[in-house]
Amino acid sequence: MEVKEKIFEIIANILELKAEEITLESTVGDFPTWDSLGQLNILQSVMDEFEVEFEPEEMMDIEDVNDIIKAVESKL
Amino acid sequence: MKTIEEQTLDNVKASPDKVALISGETEVTYSRLWDYCLKAAAKLKSEYNVQKGDRVILSAASNIEFVYVYFGVHMAGGICVPIDPDTNQTRFNYIEKSTKPVCVMGTLHNVQRETIQFDDVIEGEAKAEYYAPETNQVADILFTTGTTGAPKGVALSYANLSAAALNINTFIQNTKEDVELLALPVSHSFGLGRIRCSLSMGATVVMLGTFANVKKFFGEMKRCNVSMFAMVPASWGFIKKMSGKYVGKFADQLKFIEIGSSFMPIEEKQLLMELLPNTRICMHYGSTEASRSAFMEFHTYKDNLLSAGHASPNTEIKIFSTEGQLLPLGEEGEACVKGAHVTCGYWNETPERFASDFYDGYFRTGDCATMDADGNMYLKSRIKEMINVGGKKVTPMEVEDILNTIPGIKESACIGISDPGNVLGEVVKAFIVVEDTLTDEDIMKQMRPQLEVYKLPVVIERINSIPKTGSGKIQRLSLKTK
Repeated sequence: MEVKEKIFEIIANILELKAEEITLESTVGDFPTWDSLGQLNILQSVMDEFEVEFEPEEMMDIEDVNDIIKAVESKL
Repeated sequence: MKTIEEQTLDNVKASPDKVALISGETEVTYSRLWDYCLKAAAKLKSEYNVQKGDRVILSAASNIEFVYVYFGVHMAGGICVPIDPDTNQTRFNYIEKSTKPVCVMGTLHNVQRETIQFDDVIEGEAKAEYYAPETNQVADILFTTGTTGAPKGVALSYANLSAAALNINTFIQNTKEDVELLALPVSHSFGLGRIRCSLSMGATVVMLGTFANVKKFFGEMKRCNVSMFAMVPASWGFIKKMSGKYVGKFADQLKFIEIGSSFMPIEEKQLLMELLPNTRICMHYGSTEASRSAFMEFHTYKDNLLSAGHASPNTEIKIFSTEGQLLPLGEEGEACVKGAHVTCGYWNETPERFASDFYDGYFRTGDCATMDADGNMYLKSRIKEMINVGGKKVTPMEVEDILNTIPGIKESACIGISDPGNVLGEVVKAFIVVEDTLTDEDIMKQMRPQLEVYKLPVVIERINSIPKTGSGKIQRLSLKTK
């Protein structure tokens, strides 16, 4: 599975949404479940899944789905 | 004492063109804010038939329109019942049944109920005439999660709200020159109170509504030259996780931070002091019923950071025994509060029942504490068994009720445990008596559709029986020591 698809799947699972409801531009706050707890869970799950580590300053720059994909790809 | 609305009107007259609210690119001056509130009041009266004392349930979303309608309801003589936009159907039904509102306004994400949108309330040209209410009239009803399982409607009068704002502003020392960034939810006492504090002072509020986007939080701080913000300890846990020590870059800009009352490790307090050496970092102790009854400022209390602080201005705190006797200094008992900010009553409760919440005129907080000779309070434990997940309150009973409906679970009890991730403060732990075949995942699958994510147990432990008192009440505190 490609990075993008896997990340969509993780986000959909955590936010209790269908993958089709999410776009590359979907961002923190777009869905009621994407609050600070949702953001924390998404980033932790992504780090666990791809076995990568984000520094706090890197996490701060992650706002939308595209940012998450780019951040993961830059570490692989 | 003038109501918050009267104080805001004074600011409208003194500085009509001063910016009161900012949300994204939208800036609203004090005179425009007042006009919109009067328009909302006019429409509430003429179209939605809101009359003196009528309840209006408001989905308290952190947007400018909510502020217009919130004050508009007051100006129309109504009582605001602000609720979380994510309120579930069961809780909503309870609140609706209890308050019998004339209308429900704003967007509710998890409730099947037709509501009136805020935009519809503020459109139109007619403006209401503003008449100041009697200060003992109820202005707001805020529903707590309740310690006995059933939520309680805390009624706050205009006098309560004004007194709280005065006490808070007096302690924090903020002025009309300040710009506050509001990232807390306004459906809770703390966030909503912040709006009243800043607007009554004539300051500017930047509405953000969430800490979730930390980049945006700091972006707005820079763009709007923010000088103060409020948070709960869990917000700081999140900000730190997401941005490290970045807040330190605003050390010369941030004059005040207000922090809500839940446990904050001493190391975190010291870190904030180190990052913000010149900021007044004010942590309060309080509840919906007795908002911000005590305060401590980190730098002033640098040698006494474990204290919950001193009684707020115009407030008295005393420690009483379980028999209602005043205790000598140093002895442990129930912290009880006296002041004009203390709730005027619970909705739908008799004055006789409410009177039992007081010892000698002091409101019983349900929190266990001691006090030293200087009047500094030290919280020992929460008599109440509420679980505080990142500032959101969860009653054990609400989670247990769902657990107990799952086939295979004989009984259950929930408590709060320290968040293993060290961010949320507490998370829910469930103890269950269960048949062997039921897995954690089976349980979670059945719970997820029925509860908000933050209420879901993070840890599930199987035990042989739930400890109970002789009268059959669950002894949750004994599970804490397991």
